Amino acid sequence: MTRLIEEALFASTDPVMLAGSVCARCSAHVFPEQTSCPMCTGVDVSRVALPTTGVVWSWTTQHFAPKAPYRTDEFAPFSIGYVDLGPVIVEGWLLGRTSWTIGEPVRLALTKAWTDDDGQIVYTYGFEAAS
Amino acid sequence: MSDDAIYIVGVGMTEFGRFDGEDPELAEQAIRASLADCNLTWADVQFAVGGTNGETKPDNMVARMGLTGIPFITVKNGCATGGVSLMTARNGMLAEGHDIACVVGYDNHARGAFAASPARYGIGPWYGASGMMVTTSYFALKIQRYLHEYAMDARTLGYVSEKAFDYASAHPLAWRRKPISVDEAMDADMINDPLTRFMFCSPDAGAVSLVLARGSRAFDLCDKPVRLAAVTLRGRRPGSFEVFSPWLSPGPRTSPSVDAAAAAFATAGIQPSDVQVAQVQDTESGAEVMHLGETGLVAHGAQEAGYRNGDYLVDGSLPINTDGGCIANGEPVGASGLRQVHEVARQLQGRALGKQVPSRPTIGFTHVYGAPGISACTVLTTEGA
Ligand SMILES: [Zn+2]
Repeated sequence: MTRLIEEALFASTDPVMLAGSVCARCSAHVFPEQTSCPMCTGVDVSRVALPTTGVVWSWTTQHFAPKAPYRTDEFAPFSIGYVDLGPVIVEGWLLGRTSWTIGEPVRLALTKAWTDDDGQIVYTYGFEAAS
Repeated sequence: MSDDAIYIVGVGMTEFGRFDGEDPELAEQAIRASLADCNLTWADVQFAVGGTNGETKPDNMVARMGLTGIPFITVKNGCATGGVSLMTARNGMLAEGHDIACVVGYDNHARGAFAASPARYGIGPWYGASGMMVTTSYFALKIQRYLHEYAMDARTLGYVSEKAFDYASAHPLAWRRKPISVDEAMDADMINDPLTRFMFCSPDAGAVSLVLARGSRAFDLCDKPVRLAAVTLRGRRPGSFEVFSPWLSPGPRTSPSVDAAAAAFATAGIQPSDVQVAQVQDTESGAEVMHLGETGLVAHGAQEAGYRNGDYLVDGSLPINTDGGCIANGEPVGASGLRQVHEVARQLQGRALGKQVPSRPTIGFTHVYGAPGISACTVLTTEGA
């Protein structure tokens, strides 16, 4: 049994794609989806699938376990980054290692976040090295 | 003196650090110290503003200070609370015709990184559950990018910490007064790359109070009043990089600090290069580096050389955070911005409690910055000796 950490974050899971919104007036993309545009104050926005590849814009590794509401089965240091997808820069986990270089290519992936009390495995998104 | 000019005539501050008592006790100590500093009593105060990020109500300070019937406004604007409180006091004095006002800020925080709730910031629970709602990782992500963009070495961050603890070691009200070297800062436990344990401020306790007077009264109350030449507040625009942001816009970056500082310099009629002593928000070492650039005090990318040259030390060209800043004093949120003003005011008056800038500065500057993307700046001046 599995579930997504938040259904609304995803445009699809096969292939995995994140969902944001795009503004009809100024073309700004935001993530996650919202019903207004913070860039131009417009309200004519619609749901859009975001690009699935990009480059590391910044990164850090979390060396201590965050306080609640963070959930994990067992803490180990993990990387977080901002990934430049082109129309928008999205924050997410950087998967598979704890040291990164700004500018390196990455692609979107699904990854396990934690196991619910009822045994259900919860998946979230992250970015893995693409080269 | 113009009667529209507002001056700081009294300052009071508690020691910063751990405090076991009630928050209002701290605030009362600071208020009484600031009133004693200009030989006034609470009965003389016509208007008050109080800021805290905690659960107590600043406007209930009247229960301790005296039920004189004055208006008392409460401010709660995160890390910018001190600057907003000062601006609120200035504006209230000018709008309502008050001659004497008191501005107090205090907090008494528990240990450890602030636990933040996604819902308070309008973000879904997924964001906190996946470990991204962490202030230290935000600071790290921001300075990591900044160092990359301006080709500066991470060792710059070690210099910031060394300077902070060097200043604090001489300051009787500072919290963490043990000097550390650049190497010790660099070699300490990594919290969030590139920031180590000695590069962060920690939550603690403290209170600061200022007494303000209009120009017609200031010089009777104080030998060397400090003019509040500007106090400005700005919010974020597209291109700013704020805490708890699941996304950022591509393109040129800016910050509310850029706008608040520019407005302060314009109001005061000075250039950033005129500033002789300053405080910038140093929630961690990287924040100080970025804020020196964003406020215009130092060119972006020139900070590393400035630290290596000692420019920001007490005998340098631009002494910065001369009481140890947030890194050495912690950040009791309500008090922190007023601590900056307290320190710069004393530097301009030539009576710093720690290291005194020897060059007789007459123009000072303060800058606070905080969630969810607001900044408040002041320009403070004295007449030359
Ligand atoms: Zn728009």
